[in-house]
Amino acid sequence: MNTIEGWSEVAFNNRDPVYLQVVRHFKERIATGRSSAGQIIPSRRELGAFMKINPNTVQKAYKEMEDQQLIITEGNSPSRITNDTRLLNQIREELLGDAVRDFWGKVKNIDVPIEELLLLVERHFREEGEKK
Amino acid sequence: MIEVTGIRKRYRGRDVLNDVSFTAEKGELTCLIGVNGAGKSTILKLIMGLTPLTGGTIRIDGQALEPKLYEKIAFVPDHLTMPSGMRLSEALRFMADFYESWNEKRADELMRFFQLEHSARIGSLSKGIAAKFNLLLGFAQDSDYLLLDEPFSGIDLFSREAITEVFTSDLMEHRGVLLTTHEIGEMEHLVDKAVLLKGGKVSLSFHCEEMRSEKGKSVIDVMREVYGA
Repeated sequence: MNTIEGWSEVAFNNRDPVYLQVVRHFKERIATGRSSAGQIIPSRRELGAFMKINPNTVQKAYKEMEDQQLIITEGNSPSRITNDTRLLNQIREELLGDAVRDFWGKVKNIDVPIEELLLLVERHFREEGEKK
Repeated sequence: MIEVTGIRKRYRGRDVLNDVSFTAEKGELTCLIGVNGAGKSTILKLIMGLTPLTGGTIRIDGQALEPKLYEKIAFVPDHLTMPSGMRLSEALRFMADFYESWNEKRADELMRFFQLEHSARIGSLSKGIAAKFNLLLGFAQDSDYLLLDEPFSGIDLFSREAITEVFTSDLMEHRGVLLTTHEIGEMEHLVDKAVLLKGGKVSLSFHCEEMRSEKGKSVIDVMREVYGA
């Protein structure tokens, strides 16, 4: 069974810990429905080879996701995405919340009225949507 | 674990290495980084006992260097050392005869993976192909440690990618790899630990992921600071 099918390569940046970037990639996949509850995920080695990163880094990412209970590894069977839908639903909120906080961090010093800001966001959203 | 403690090497009246200490763990990829002439290759040669130590100690899994330890370590020099008239099939036979740790099945897999021709002669190989075959001679030994001298220098992008792929494969599992390079390039996300050499000393050694989480710096960022380019 090819569990790597449907995975895309990720352009990692060099300055954030790679394992956290891997965790984030999983969260994005979950938030967008590309990975769903109970789904088997690639083995550490498979993912490392595919993403051209150190398997130890993938191991660390999987450990982190196990700690966050995002994935489950039982005995020798392959790791799976959790079945805890409440947790999975939170991920989308978490990602959006983070993005909004980052955005706010950048615009707050510009002192722009919320109406204008929302209008700009809306316009950008439409323009980018058309490009796709 | 390869444990290098306070080693010194004096060569032609010059201190090539002056009190170098670091460790390379099993299951990790450790990268010795330094500009040309920093003494990277000399360190690998010292570990392999190919040149005498002026001072300091080198231990492998707690044991002092001795001939039988060398079945545990494979060394890939920066150029292919097989006679140029040999065919690849003959070179493989040579390795099988001389190394107890030679793994024929693995050698076959790698011959296929690198798309190497058994009938080709060593002397007729292009640089990239020769580099791949050179690596194969190291990778196909069932050794606990693998030392690679500049495995990426002077070879094309596609050969580099193929080699990078081997580093993430199960061939590397549980092995300790120590390699030298003067540029980190596409290795950035493969390396567990970086040891930066400068002026015959270890100027800094760190785990790459820790450096990223604690300081937000890439290996290249740190190299810029250390080598001041």
